[in-house]
Amino acid sequence: MIRLENINKDFKPDAFGPVFKALKNVSFEIKEGKITGFLGANGAGKTTSMKIIMDFIRPSSGNIIYDVKLGKKKEEIFSKIGFLPERPYFYPHLNGRDFVYYMATLSGVPKLLLKERIAYWAPRFKIDFALDRKIKTYSKGMLQRLGFLSTLSHDPSLIILDEPLSGLDPIGRKEMKDVIVEIHRSGKTVFFSSHIMGDVEEICQEIVFLQSGELQYTGSVAALLHRNRNENYLFCVKNNDRYDLKTPHTSSTRGREDTIYFEVSADDKNIMLKELVENRMEIISMEPVQKTLEEIFYGAKK
Amino acid sequence: MSTIFTVAYYTFKELLKSRVLMNAFFMGCFLIALTYIASEFTFGVPQRIAIDFGLGILTLSSVGMALFFGVELLSKEIETRTIYMIISRPVERYKVLLGKYLGFLSILFLNLIILASMSLITFKVLKGDITNMILWNIIYIFIEALLVLLLVVLFSLNTNNTVSVISVIVLYVTGHAMDPNTLKFFVEGRPAFEKLINFYHFVLPGFYKLNIKDFVLYQENLSSEYLISTLGYGFLYSLFLITLTAVIFERKDLN
Repeated sequence: MIRLENINKDFKPDAFGPVFKALKNVSFEIKEGKITGFLGANGAGKTTSMKIIMDFIRPSSGNIIYDVKLGKKKEEIFSKIGFLPERPYFYPHLNGRDFVYYMATLSGVPKLLLKERIAYWAPRFKIDFALDRKIKTYSKGMLQRLGFLSTLSHDPSLIILDEPLSGLDPIGRKEMKDVIVEIHRSGKTVFFSSHIMGDVEEICQEIVFLQSGELQYTGSVAALLHRNRNENYLFCVKNNDRYDLKTPHTSSTRGREDTIYFEVSADDKNIMLKELVENRMEIISMEPVQKTLEEIFYGAKK
Repeated sequence: MSTIFTVAYYTFKELLKSRVLMNAFFMGCFLIALTYIASEFTFGVPQRIAIDFGLGILTLSSVGMALFFGVELLSKEIETRTIYMIISRPVERYKVLLGKYLGFLSILFLNLIILASMSLITFKVLKGDITNMILWNIIYIFIEALLVLLLVVLFSLNTNNTVSVISVIVLYVTGHAMDPNTLKFFVEGRPAFEKLINFYHFVLPGFYKLNIKDFVLYQENLSSEYLISTLGYGFLYSLFLITLTAVIFERKDLN
């Protein structure tokens, strides 16, 4: 849907200071009909890339190619994109409904249709009860929901969200992820940034990973996990401090005293199982070891 | 056009609900009280005091509003990322800018109408005669506030709010002090100074042109040519500032 080709972005914080390279030759594609997670630590260049896609800032070099399905003119393209910035600040004296109307009117949505959309989405975002209240009375999570609601007000086919899950409590995050999945199921393309790998791994089919302004990976989550798969198995066993296992393994308690984890190769899986049973150890679980995105990208251990 | 009016409408609504017009109400009450007290101390010319205070407070309120609220018109939206929500829609940046101006000027106009009405009523109660010159002065106060607004928005796109406000105050004060008639004595025999003054008049706003209060107070008339040409100057200068700001806003990286 959108392709970034060799994007570079330089910033000069002050006249005599050095040039800061925020993006270095970044190329990737937002694929139609997929949920794409845009990953990277704080300062990796995610928001800068999004601002370039949205034409808030211009790249120092490189091209952005928008699919003809989005349109040819800038106005056509942007009428099919919904964008939610990170932690936006809305007009505090307007009420929530005013703000949604404002945004939708700019996109030329007829009032009747807008009412239908609000009636559909507002309860899903659990913001319907507060739409007639002044925005200055909203909590951080409510502001995020209101922003998301106005992002969907013109029924865009591509939704770009900058850190949509930040500042939300666990329940709020779960609800927001459910909405993202629902939007995707209705045929939309979603591109969202996050620095929380778990969220992205949970709902995305595609990922783009940036580190210090450079592209590290772009492609499917499944392919990446498959490429980094581990043939080992992990046993979780009740810790009784009475074990003397002969099967080659590595053990760890992962910070808990009541359980212990044994990692063995696939070949030794059955031997280990037999040995644990013979030692009368209480097996809680056994599962193949699956590396997480966090472990793949940052080498972090559980 | 619909984009401009949509932005203008919601800008107006937000400002109206923020009770910025309380400014007009309090200023109006202050004006009436001050006029009453001052007229008690004058002999024979309470009307002059009334219109002097009225026009003074009108200027203070309009220019103050344009300066201190106007500086945040765009800069706050950029700083707080609200502008991203707007320009991510199928709208052109210059239309957003024009809409913001229109919305803010509507509030400024409302403020002017409220205060001018209170001022003129007080003046009339004190048996003053409302002349065309008073109305021209009120129009000029609006143009003065318009220029201040356009200048402060232009500055706020390029520097921080404090520097913007100070720069515009400096321009406002020098713009009033640069009256060629009062400077004539100093300019004579100083060609470099004269060139500097000419350059200033060519580029920077001549607020002194809009100051006709002395003519109002002493009930003197100005030629219609002067009044209309000054009005034209105000509009052309505004157009120049709007164009310049629109070009900068269009090209600006909204970080």
